[in-house]
Amino acid sequence: MRSTRVFLIVAILATLTLFNFLAALQGYNSSLNEAEKLFDNQLLDTTKLISSLHPSQHKNSLTHLNDMAYQIWHHNKLLGASSNVQKEPITALHPGFGYANFNGYRWRTLVYFDELQDRWIITAERTDLRFSLAENVIIKAVLPILLGIPLIGFLIWFIVSQGLKPLRDLSDQLKNKQVNDLSPIELPDPQKELEHVIYSINSLIKRLGEALEREKRFTADAAHELRTPISALKIQLHNLKNDPTSGEETFLQLQSGVERMQHLVEQLLSLYRSTPSEFSNNFTPINLYQLAQEVIAEQHLSFEQKHQSLELTGTESLINGDLFSLQTLMQNLLSNANKYTPNNGTIKVSVSNLSQQLDDTPKVYLKIEDSGIGIDPTDYHKIYERFQRLNKKDVAATPGCGLGLTIVRHIVELHGGSIHISPSSFPSGTTFTVLFDGLNK
Amino acid sequence: MFLNSVVLVLQEALEAALLISVLLVFSKHYQIKPRWVLVSIGLGSMGALIFALNMALVSEWFDYVGQEVINALIQFSILFLLGLLVLSLSINNPFIKPNTNVIKSNLWIMVCMILLVCLAITREGSEIFIYIGGVINQPSYAQPTLAGSGIGAGIGISAGVLIYYGLLGVTRNKVTAISLSLLSLVGGNMASQAVLLLTQADWLPYSQILWDSSAQIPENSVIGHLLYALIGYEATPSLFQFSAYLGGISLILIFWLLGKLIDVPSTMALDAENTGY
Repeated sequence: MRSTRVFLIVAILATLTLFNFLAALQGYNSSLNEAEKLFDNQLLDTTKLISSLHPSQHKNSLTHLNDMAYQIWHHNKLLGASSNVQKEPITALHPGFGYANFNGYRWRTLVYFDELQDRWIITAERTDLRFSLAENVIIKAVLPILLGIPLIGFLIWFIVSQGLKPLRDLSDQLKNKQVNDLSPIELPDPQKELEHVIYSINSLIKRLGEALEREKRFTADAAHELRTPISALKIQLHNLKNDPTSGEETFLQLQSGVERMQHLVEQLLSLYRSTPSEFSNNFTPINLYQLAQEVIAEQHLSFEQKHQSLELTGTESLINGDLFSLQTLMQNLLSNANKYTPNNGTIKVSVSNLSQQLDDTPKVYLKIEDSGIGIDPTDYHKIYERFQRLNKKDVAATPGCGLGLTIVRHIVELHGGSIHISPSSFPSGTTFTVLFDGLNK
Repeated sequence: MFLNSVVLVLQEALEAALLISVLLVFSKHYQIKPRWVLVSIGLGSMGALIFALNMALVSEWFDYVGQEVINALIQFSILFLLGLLVLSLSINNPFIKPNTNVIKSNLWIMVCMILLVCLAITREGSEIFIYIGGVINQPSYAQPTLAGSGIGAGIGISAGVLIYYGLLGVTRNKVTAISLSLLSLVGGNMASQAVLLLTQADWLPYSQILWDSSAQIPENSVIGHLLYALIGYEATPSLFQFSAYLGGISLILIFWLLGKLIDVPSTMALDAENTGY
């Protein structure tokens, strides 16, 4: 696995070294050229100085030079010279700088014509000495760049390590977390870049904790809900065994118990199917009004048994949805209205297109309003929780498992819609309004 | 002295760094741990030192052309090993042939890589040792020589590191093509240098000079040396040298194509599964 720290240290150090060393090379070349010019100017000054001296002074001051040579010519006659040159001209008598080889060395030469005294002065300096002198000076400037690389490397290592420390701390905290430790990550004074990561991790941990808690509660509730009808069935079977004459009554109770359990299992299955991870997206255009008609027709008997008045109003309203899920949604809402509305009560169902107001997407709403027992507005936030049954006398007496509205909300969310609850227009009762994105006809 | 040292060390270091970088990229993609580099650098440095210390003796071989002949032999060995490596890499390409016997092929690939780098460092390192050994005894040259060598080595190694990371950043489809192109250039360079050495040793006759680009890019300029290290640049290549260069490149590419045509036997794939790799 690639280490970010090693990568940063090596890549930064390599880049710095490459460009620093190339710059040093460029500096070396430029400095050498400048030194060459400096030496040439010095040679010119020396030449002019020699030119200004009287020949007698040459012998005293300049004869025994080693790294330098000179000759003074006047009409092809050698007037004076250093001891390290022959009697021949060092180089051709053309004014200017040049090079010559003698005494086993290469020399930088300058031919200078003194017009006042009508003399040629030739001066020469050993190139190897000039080069060596210049190089030694320049190397002194280059060496710190070379010797500084280990120090720069150490500094880069230190800086990168410091920079990555919070990331390492975060990684250590995550690594050292126990399996059941869902406490949030805490880093003292985290970097700006890490704040978002820590926030995301903590949100994830929080959601994970909530989900785990929900699952635990769900398992416990489901077990409890299943145990209740089973216990009742066991009692009834026991009664049947002890008193075979109570056959008809016990049979009806047994049948009711089995139906209750079947309902609970079906609701559990619906809940499972309506979770986002299990939902099989099979969306097709659906006329919600027509669907409401069909579901009402299916459940009509339940309403008739309680002499409830059921009204359906609306128009053709197309939405993109999953037929099976929407059927379940409507069945659950109608079943609730049927169960919690007393005999001779009224239930109004309306499906319609909502006039386009805010944006271009048309909206379709499904409203189910009843004159039932109603829900206290303070309990509105509770009713979508799983196995949540309101602590009311009428509710407790009504058969149910507390999963219906949870399933409804799942289905609404899967369709990208929203569900709202409000008091009904009757003296008592509840209105459920579900809002979907409609389809353009 | 400074500039000479820079150029000589840079040329040798860059050549080795380029080879090591490309091989490291391959080893990364073939999931071979990079420790082999340390082994090969250690062995290569030892080889270079031994070779440099015995250079006087070696030079006397083959009628006093031992140095040229042995160097040419090393170059040809590198070319041959490069060919074998490329063939093996191509046969066992994990991106193309996933059912490869990873452990057997990777061991062979790793041995090839160690030998390659070891030989390259032996040859290039010996030249550096001989050069530094020759000038370091003169006190006035010591500082410029060491400084120049440091700068040259620094530039060469840094360029190698950046080439390595650059290649790692390239997508998998392109990295094989780029790495293979670089290896084929190294192969061409080796063949060309070997032919030049054998010509210098009079083992091969002189052939006609194909062109002269010394006016545009002199061989002894910094760019000339860099190009020599990267693509084996010669300002005045002979016909034999140029042919060897093209031959070296072709050899590597042919070995790669050959490897792509060879199917991995299914039994090997089963062996790999059974060994748990």
